[in-house]
Amino acid sequence: MNALLRRASLRHLGKHPWLTALSLLGIALGVAVVVSIDLASGSALSAFERSTDLVAGRATHQLVGGTSGLPEGVYTALRLRADAPLAAPVVEGTVQADLGDRRALTVLGVDPFAEAPFRDFASGGAVGNVTGLLTRPGAALLGERAARALGLGTGDTLPVTVAGTRRDLHVVALLAPRDERAARALESLVLMDVSSAQELLGQVGRLSRIDLRLTDGEAEAQRLTATLPPGVELTRPSARAGTVEQMTRAFRTNLTALSLLALVVGMFLIYNTMTFSVVQRRGQLGRLRAMGLTRGELFAMVLGEASVLALVGTTAGMLMGVLMARGLLGLVTQTINDLYFVVDARRLTLTPFTLGKGLALGLGATLAAALVPAWEAARSTPVTTMRRSTLEDTSRRRAPGLALLGLGVLAVGVGLLAWPTPALTPAYAGLFAVLLGASLEVPWVTEKLTTGAARPLGALFGPLGRMAARGVTASLSRTAVALAALMVAVATTVGVGLMVSSFRGTVESWLEASLQADVFISPPSLVARRGDATLLPGLAERVRATPGVQTSSSIRVTQVRAQGVPTDLMAIDFAAGHRPYRLKEGDAERVWRELDASADALLVSEPFGFHRGVHLGDTVTLATDRGPHAFHVVGVYFDYGSDVGTLLMPRATYTRWFDDRGVSGVALYAQPGQDVDALVARVRERAAGAQALQVRANRVLRQTSMEVFDRTFTITQVLRLLAIAVAFVGVLSALMALQLERAREYAVLRAMGLTPGQLWGMVSLQTGLLGLLAGLFSVPLGGALAYVLVHVINQRSFGWTLRLTVSPGVLWQAVVLALVAAALAGLYPAWKMARARPALALREE
Amino acid sequence: MSQGRGLVIGTSGVLAALAVAVVLVTREPAAGVAAGPRALTVAGVLGASDGGADGFARALEPRPFHFPEDHGPHPDFRAEWWYWTGNLETADGRAFGYQFTLFRSALTAQAPARGSAWGSRQVFMGHFTLTDVRAGRFHAAERFSRAAVGLAGATATPFHVWLQDWEVRGASDMEPWPMYLRAQADGVALALTLEPGKPAVAQGDRGLSQKGPEQGNASYYYSFPRMPSRGTVTVGSESFAVTGDSWMDREWSTSALGAGQVGWDWFSLQLSDGSELMEYQLRREDGTADPYSAGLWIPPTGEPVRLTREDVKLEVLDTWRSPRGATYPSRWRVQVPKRRLDLTVTPRLADQELVLSFRYWEGAVSLEGTREGQPVKGRGYVELTGYADARVPGDTALR
Repeated sequence: MNALLRRASLRHLGKHPWLTALSLLGIALGVAVVVSIDLASGSALSAFERSTDLVAGRATHQLVGGTSGLPEGVYTALRLRADAPLAAPVVEGTVQADLGDRRALTVLGVDPFAEAPFRDFASGGAVGNVTGLLTRPGAALLGERAARALGLGTGDTLPVTVAGTRRDLHVVALLAPRDERAARALESLVLMDVSSAQELLGQVGRLSRIDLRLTDGEAEAQRLTATLPPGVELTRPSARAGTVEQMTRAFRTNLTALSLLALVVGMFLIYNTMTFSVVQRRGQLGRLRAMGLTRGELFAMVLGEASVLALVGTTAGMLMGVLMARGLLGLVTQTINDLYFVVDARRLTLTPFTLGKGLALGLGATLAAALVPAWEAARSTPVTTMRRSTLEDTSRRRAPGLALLGLGVLAVGVGLLAWPTPALTPAYAGLFAVLLGASLEVPWVTEKLTTGAARPLGALFGPLGRMAARGVTASLSRTAVALAALMVAVATTVGVGLMVSSFRGTVESWLEASLQADVFISPPSLVARRGDATLLPGLAERVRATPGVQTSSSIRVTQVRAQGVPTDLMAIDFAAGHRPYRLKEGDAERVWRELDASADALLVSEPFGFHRGVHLGDTVTLATDRGPHAFHVVGVYFDYGSDVGTLLMPRATYTRWFDDRGVSGVALYAQPGQDVDALVARVRERAAGAQALQVRANRVLRQTSMEVFDRTFTITQVLRLLAIAVAFVGVLSALMALQLERAREYAVLRAMGLTPGQLWGMVSLQTGLLGLLAGLFSVPLGGALAYVLVHVINQRSFGWTLRLTVSPGVLWQAVVLALVAAALAGLYPAWKMARARPALALREE
Repeated sequence: MSQGRGLVIGTSGVLAALAVAVVLVTREPAAGVAAGPRALTVAGVLGASDGGADGFARALEPRPFHFPEDHGPHPDFRAEWWYWTGNLETADGRAFGYQFTLFRSALTAQAPARGSAWGSRQVFMGHFTLTDVRAGRFHAAERFSRAAVGLAGATATPFHVWLQDWEVRGASDMEPWPMYLRAQADGVALALTLEPGKPAVAQGDRGLSQKGPEQGNASYYYSFPRMPSRGTVTVGSESFAVTGDSWMDREWSTSALGAGQVGWDWFSLQLSDGSELMEYQLRREDGTADPYSAGLWIPPTGEPVRLTREDVKLEVLDTWRSPRGATYPSRWRVQVPKRRLDLTVTPRLADQELVLSFRYWEGAVSLEGTREGQPVKGRGYVELTGYADARVPGDTALR
């Protein structure tokens, strides 16, 4: 009997090869999107972890300082002590290769004599003369792979750019790492002596940190802490990797959620295919039941078919996922680079866990989607299964019930969304519940609408119009699924589109408010949103004194440990009369007065306040060069530059607590009547020299900022397109199934005298109607989705207040998109139906 | 069924194509492992320093020593060391031996001026050993550092030579005596006050110690052969007040081991009658003593006497096989017929092998025998290099 069932299943799948192929494609696409996002963001993160691991080595603790590291004397004093712990000085920074693929390179400056207990860079060996490291300025070691990629060998010169200044490094030896992991980490690393690294990075006299190995555990750590000079703090290296993980968590969660949407659309597809196969074979199933097959066996048969599809589809999906991930990796890395930190991921990290996750998701989703059809197949009695109309009757009868259930699910979703918690998971659960609830409403609403539409369509197109409308209702079990799939996909695009445009609008108006100066000068920076490179000493003063400048401000962007977590800090020397910051908490006049008057007042950005639960009147403890100090929060300001949050203090306060005197950027306000372009030219002239500075007029900077913004959303747009692709495949397969199923009905119509053209028109009208409905449904759902994305998901992920703006353009696009998708998907089935020879179709059964 | 076959074939084809594409995309280039010196090992950094003597000063002719200036560094020469060894005893006769050496090694003759204080062409290596005779334990430790940012260095006035917290420091700015020696590592510590004792003796030809036939293959070399020492030895939680005699060697040069020379055996012996004997034998590949081997006999009072290779008869009475591989001579009969000196030299502990970046044997010895027919005893230190490694400290033939 089993063999018979297997053959029956195979024959059925084989009889509709295109439908089967489409459903395979649907599963594959859904799985591929999930796997590729997972792989790409996982690979980017693990590339970063690998390089931090390599760089942190076996240190158990680290000594760290204020914003500009520690004075090197701390290390000497430590080593000259009788009970000196194992310690190694580290100078770290980032440069950009000035040849080849212009990759970002982490410069690690170490003392070879202190390294052995901490890091082994090249157990495999190195080729070249290592002596030069200490004596030759700019001497560097490169990993073999990086050297090969850059076309360099021992003895060659590696030109690099550091904050706009070009410098030459000398490759004195190549490192041959011992394993693949080390090899990857070395791909973006330049190893130098402390001396050369200090000179290259402009950190003469300072160390980025001191690595320690404390053998005696906490007791030794405490003893050591007691003897440290003020401004030097003992931390654990794991804190850093953890921060990175945390920093990008929201970003990665959102990508994953978006990718899951694609899978959800894929699930509709599976549901559709399996239902179709059950409906198609209602006769056969009935006969099998009549022959004595149990319900369990039929249930198993349908699930068995589904699992074969799932297995093949998922396998294809995972393979496609890997391919897509290769393409997405660049996008994800670019986005992380724009937003957070420099990471250089050039290879995918394939882990069994990621692939296992993809497999489980693919199989699970397919089987879950096949459960209902399998149950349908098993449930029916031998007699009723034979009648198709029963199924449609049941569908229609069930529609109000489903709608009620949908209302319940919607209520649960709204409840989850309204649940006041900072966690993202319930928010996404709520979002998916809303999508599911809305889908459950589809059959009932569709029935009502099409019944209502029959009359006007009839008036417009005659009986054919009426038939087209009624046809939708008549095969509700099939149309509703196609509609729901298309609706979810289009609503996703609407929601994400509205979210991005709202975000964009908010950022645009924020930029307008905060970029008030006429000319901005800064060295190029590797992380677009965080310009922490500094101007050469004296250059800032020179630029600020350019004739034609009425007033000017300077900014220093750097990192400080706030409550132990590295946080961006902006120190601003305000231009007279200009305070281009809008406050969320605090009264402007009082805030600026207090900032100027107090020696330890600061502002926190909205995301900082959100993530750390800090508000007006609280204090934030910063690790300053004078030791830890609690600063008063006198206000919370709007900032969309960093999703992890920033701190802001006047330059005077910064100078008081930190030794760093660097300037990261200067903003100039032109005198009234001064031509800005002329001013830009004059500034360029004055600043010309060793450092290539970016001198940008207000308009240009705003434009560049928006470009960066758009770039960070590229990956989101790509995901949106992928979801549409899956939905398109879904609609195509649903319509094909629908039309194939009605082959007989159409044959009857043809036999009754309908011309092929008329039939084609009717079928197209019907698919068009479906598209229009899906488009209409997706507008409110998309709006709701946008609301949730902007006010719940974004708020919880990043802590930003965004203004939701509904652009009619996006809504129109949605309707048009749905119409076009349905029309395109309906072309082939309509053409096929129109061409079918009625006699053949009639003979079919 | 034909359509079914088409589906199966098509699907398999697509899967196969995808699989091939994935393999192509994720293929790793083979990680080539190159042979060569290990990077960032101390030996790697120091080992390349035998790049030639160009630009360094050479020891060409005798020169008078000036103190305290010559206690300080001579950075124009490639290598230099401050070498202390000694035998110490507690009041109740518990014996210790120690070696404390700070080697300076220049990586290059010249280096460009640097913005960073870390830039340096001078590197220091330190070896510190303690022989605990009664416990039968030998402790050895090693350190390296560049001579920069105060981590290591040497100055003449005030006299100070240090490598992190290992140091020997003069009494005051202008006065080097007494010297204070301080070192500790892995639970073993030494703190000594060293008096000059007998005056400095110049080795070789008025301080020029020739190591080979080529001109300049020589070092400047002087010793303080018997420095009364007192202080504290700490082993684990126990501290011992000790007294004894130390021997200090100072040597600087730009020479290297000559062709065919593989290592050396060096003896510094302090006899109970107030005399001292220094002897080094440069060993050739065939096991014979190089003609440039030399020695010095220092009577209790009066002028020291140079000894040539022919003046000294050195006979190995026993050998010791290190559990780590090499075989060292471990008992000697040392005869200087001209001085009617006949001594048997015995290690106080067989295993005084330093297993550090360079492997060699250097340890406390006791001696007994006769001089001019009178029985004498004594203590001393012996250094044996070139038995385990082809490499020897600093790669230079300084002793």
